[in-house]
Amino acid sequence: MTMTDKRKAEEGGLAPWFEAGRAEAPAPSGDWLARMEAMALEEQPAPRAVEVPVPQPARRGRLREMLAALGGWPAMAGLAAACATGIWFGAAAPSGLPDWLSVSEGDAITALEPASGFDYAMLGL
Amino acid sequence: MPYDAMSDRSDESLLAAYAAGEPAAARALTLRLGPRAFGLAMRMLKDRAEAEDVAQEALLRLWRAAPGWREGEAKVSTWLYRVVSNLCIDRMRRRRGGTVDLDAIAEPADPAPSAESELQESARGAALQAALDTLPERQKQAVVLRHLEGLSNPEIAAIMDIGVRAVESLTARGRKALEGLLRSRRAELGYDDD
Repeated sequence: MTMTDKRKAEEGGLAPWFEAGRAEAPAPSGDWLARMEAMALEEQPAPRAVEVPVPQPARRGRLREMLAALGGWPAMAGLAAACATGIWFGAAAPSGLPDWLSVSEGDAITALEPASGFDYAMLGL
Repeated sequence: MPYDAMSDRSDESLLAAYAAGEPAAARALTLRLGPRAFGLAMRMLKDRAEAEDVAQEALLRLWRAAPGWREGEAKVSTWLYRVVSNLCIDRMRRRRGGTVDLDAIAEPADPAPSAESELQESARGAALQAALDTLPERQKQAVVLRHLEGLSNPEIAAIMDIGVRAVESLTARGRKALEGLLRSRRAELGYDDD
């Protein structure tokens, strides 16, 4: 049962009287409505200002300055690639390359180090 | 131009737009709520000048409450009806120069000779209004809100600050009193032919 049906059921024998009453709803005058509109506008708060975000000056942090000193992102990319290659060689040495630092080839070590620790001690270094 | 150019927007949404400074919302709300506030005041007070004053005061309070209005807290129309009702009852009490006896609310309407003499209107609506004017003010308020303004009982309960059962009781007593008052007018106003 809708609200209107419920109300009609409540009204019973008075329904025609209430219908007549609803049909004769008192209406305000146009003048009064115009005054009410003027009052509403007069009382209305001023429109809210739209907040425009103020552009902040670009801030340069230390990391950014260091990056610029190194040559920017292209230089950093080269460094990163070299670093990754080094790590890769350390973790999985390519099979095609000779094992230069093999312990069994002591001569090669001597060849790589022309002056020994003893020589440096004698020279007072 | 349509009567309410913003009919797709709720009262609450329009009030928020009003508070934000949107002039169209001020106009739409005035057109939507002004006649309702005036209509209720007119039915309660039966005096055009007083009804205009009361409706104006209620609207003014609404505009001033708008910036602090929290959406979802209260229905705008219910709030407005409540303010209008309270202002009307204040005026009705002042007219009588005294306060309302709460016992009077429970009393059925007294079809006194003075009330009967008021029922000399020829129009059906006018006869109903004259009968309504003889009811205790709370009964009249409940009957007007329920049967002339078409509000639900929970809405009336919120407006009158009472429970739904109390609203049902007030409207039932009001209708019973009206039936007694209008019975003698049925034949005169053609209702026996219905």
